[in-house]
Amino acid sequence: MRPVACSALRLCVRSRCRPGTFVVQRRGFVSKLDQAPEIYDVVCVGGGPAGLGLLAALRASSATSKLRVALVETQDLRKARTWNSAPHEFSNRVSSLTPSSVSFLQRIGAWDYLDTNRAQNYQEMKVWDGETGSRLSFDWSMETSPFEDLRTVATMTENVNLVRSLLLRIEKSGDENLSIFGNSTVSSIENGINYHPDGPNLSAWPVLSISPTQQQQQQQQQPSRIAARLLVGADGINSPVRRFADINTDGWDYGRQGVVATLALSEPDPTPFPLGTRTAFQRFLPSLGGPIALLPLPNNHATLVWSTTPENAAYLKSLAPKAFIAMVNAAFRLEMADLKYMMRMERQSSTSAADTEDLHESELVWRLQHTPLPSHIPPMVTSVQEGSVASFPLRFRHASTYVSPRVALVGDAAHVVHPLAGQGLNLGLGDVASLSNTIEYAVTHGMDVGDILTLERYSAERYGVNAKIGGVCDMLHKLYNVPGQGPVTWARSLGVEAIERLPLVKAFLMRNAES
Amino acid sequence: MTPFRRVTLTTHTLTSFLRTATPHRLYSTGTAPSSVSADELSHFSALASSWWDPMGPSRVLHLMNPLRHEFIASCLAEGPPAHGQQQQPEQGQANLHYLDVGCGGGIFAESLARTIPSTKNKTVTPTRAASITALDPSTTLIQIAREHARIDPTVDMHLRTGRFSYQNRTLEDLIESFSDSNEKKQFDIVTLFEVLEHIDPSTSSPLAFLTNCLRLVKPGGWLVGSTIARSFPSFLVNQVIAEAPWPIGVVPRGTHEWSKFVNPDEVKGWVQEGLMRGRDGTAEKAGSEALQGSMWKCEGVMYFPGLGWKIVKGSEDWGNYFWAVRKGV
Repeated sequence: MRPVACSALRLCVRSRCRPGTFVVQRRGFVSKLDQAPEIYDVVCVGGGPAGLGLLAALRASSATSKLRVALVETQDLRKARTWNSAPHEFSNRVSSLTPSSVSFLQRIGAWDYLDTNRAQNYQEMKVWDGETGSRLSFDWSMETSPFEDLRTVATMTENVNLVRSLLLRIEKSGDENLSIFGNSTVSSIENGINYHPDGPNLSAWPVLSISPTQQQQQQQQQPSRIAARLLVGADGINSPVRRFADINTDGWDYGRQGVVATLALSEPDPTPFPLGTRTAFQRFLPSLGGPIALLPLPNNHATLVWSTTPENAAYLKSLAPKAFIAMVNAAFRLEMADLKYMMRMERQSSTSAADTEDLHESELVWRLQHTPLPSHIPPMVTSVQEGSVASFPLRFRHASTYVSPRVALVGDAAHVVHPLAGQGLNLGLGDVASLSNTIEYAVTHGMDVGDILTLERYSAERYGVNAKIGGVCDMLHKLYNVPGQGPVTWARSLGVEAIERLPLVKAFLMRNAES
Repeated sequence: MTPFRRVTLTTHTLTSFLRTATPHRLYSTGTAPSSVSADELSHFSALASSWWDPMGPSRVLHLMNPLRHEFIASCLAEGPPAHGQQQQPEQGQANLHYLDVGCGGGIFAESLARTIPSTKNKTVTPTRAASITALDPSTTLIQIAREHARIDPTVDMHLRTGRFSYQNRTLEDLIESFSDSNEKKQFDIVTLFEVLEHIDPSTSSPLAFLTNCLRLVKPGGWLVGSTIARSFPSFLVNQVIAEAPWPIGVVPRGTHEWSKFVNPDEVKGWVQEGLMRGRDGTAEKAGSEALQGSMWKCEGVMYFPGLGWKIVKGSEDWGNYFWAVRKGV
């Protein structure tokens, strides 16, 4: 009946199940399923950044703060709420927040709760083609006047930091009209029924049965049943909400893995000017299956995202730290042929001591002597944080629609894009900003927040934007997966050089990337 | 699909359907299913689903509904209704009582009822509704409206507590019931959305009808409506394009009677005369002091396919427009 996750989290305290004034409960005479469920205005399945962002946004606006809202999350949100980490250690799940995502988080008051010492702005992006060397640099500082602050391209933030700030923001809004079901899964979603001829007719309302996850089972016997005026699916790529709403999703797997790691870098040389300027680096490696990117974190740390084939990913993950570091440094510096060779080198047995010379390292040192280096390479990687090397599959998905009566999808439940532009989380936050505005408009105009006439405003605002950005990422992925010299490679570098030389086109592209 | 589309087509279609097919049901109040044939029931459900179908023939009307809220909010901002003895009514309190005349299937009435604060959600919207009474002479439409209201527990609860009520009666009937009870019942806001152009000239006139509406408005309150101007563009759009054969037209032939459309200056003239008549309670004019403190407001709206309804300044003489009159305190 009652979720347990709550006692430690003030915001999770959930009022006892009680019959509403308009709900006739026939306790004792009917089975549990015939009893009217508890009624909520917005029920969000999924407590990731998108789901929590929606909740925080609704709680922050005076028009929507009194809506009765619930959130269901499988993970233990208490842990997320009390997350803490040493200042020199960083999670490997890091996202690049665009300025519009940051301003959304500021608007809803979540930014105040973010540990900004652990977040890193960057002002410049250096992107080049490993095959041809043609370069596209996103340098915002060129656009601003010398008296203005440097323009931020994006802010790198650990997802745990973001999630914690959203939880704290929600907690700050009090626990009235709010239920958070942590450690809970949605065991079923079905349409309600016309529970009583004299009561409300919930036959078109989604009714969720919420059960505690395995480890909580002993304390909890019966699942809670809640009805949603609007059910929001923020429940990821395999969204159960999407399945309930019978919404199709199209897409494909890229056959690529994203290898992530937290790295420490050497001091930048030369010292960036103006001081404090940070740069993100991305090099497309057509022969290895995708780009490698190094995104800055505080104190000369950086997060790695290397999109590559599953074989390469498995190889990289199996390397000893020194060899892994050498491969990352090589990937930003060496020719394609050298890299391909190093990717097939025999691995040293893991028993080899740290002080023995690493084969990859010495190979890199030798090859660098014979490679001319461009000026725009990142500082050398000096160490890799233990246990931070991991990988995840790269996929493209787009739901056929984001809305159906009393259902809306946000974030990965609606769309999954290639990470090469770092847009995934930003698209999700964009969805949430739009959906919360839509709900606010509906509430102030007497519209039912679950009505399709309300929700189509959200869909109209987001579907095209997400399709465009997802499509551009997909196109870039395909364009930069054609190895060797040839028409595509030449056209690619011609195109990139052309964009670089046409300030108007470039400014347009950059604005698009930014918002 | 077409700008300035007439949007009350469904009221009209339904009412004319009922007149021809089941005239005896129009004024009957019996709802017991036993007296209803299965045939009629299936007709009934077909009509009910089309009225509230967001993609159905009333879609354009549904899309206009948020603008009604905005227009009322702008009226309240310009001339807040006086409450009791207080000349300066407390802002941000839901204390206004509404009467919706000709509510049809309840598109506006239900949406306003949803904004009435409840014990669970005390948020006040700019329309500040505390209660709403909605009238329609059609039994079928009132039934559709009541059935739809049950889908929303909040609205359903307001129906149960009486803050919201649907009444199957005419305006004249309501006024009569008030005079019987000897109690002077008035409302802060009386709404007339897409009604004025449907008045049957053989039994009533817009002037008499508006005068009756104004009698029910408290001093300092507003009579708010929307209708469509009798202009060449509205003739073209509503009579020629909207009623053209499929796939261009979307409404059955004969839905509109362009000659019944009313222009803003006509409405303004009628309400001014209505205020004077209402003042002394007889047909005689009370003179211009009846207009003291009154306000007149008018805004044109246009429908742009793909974008929805927009307020377009100066377009009130061409097609759809909102109008409002405030009764002097």
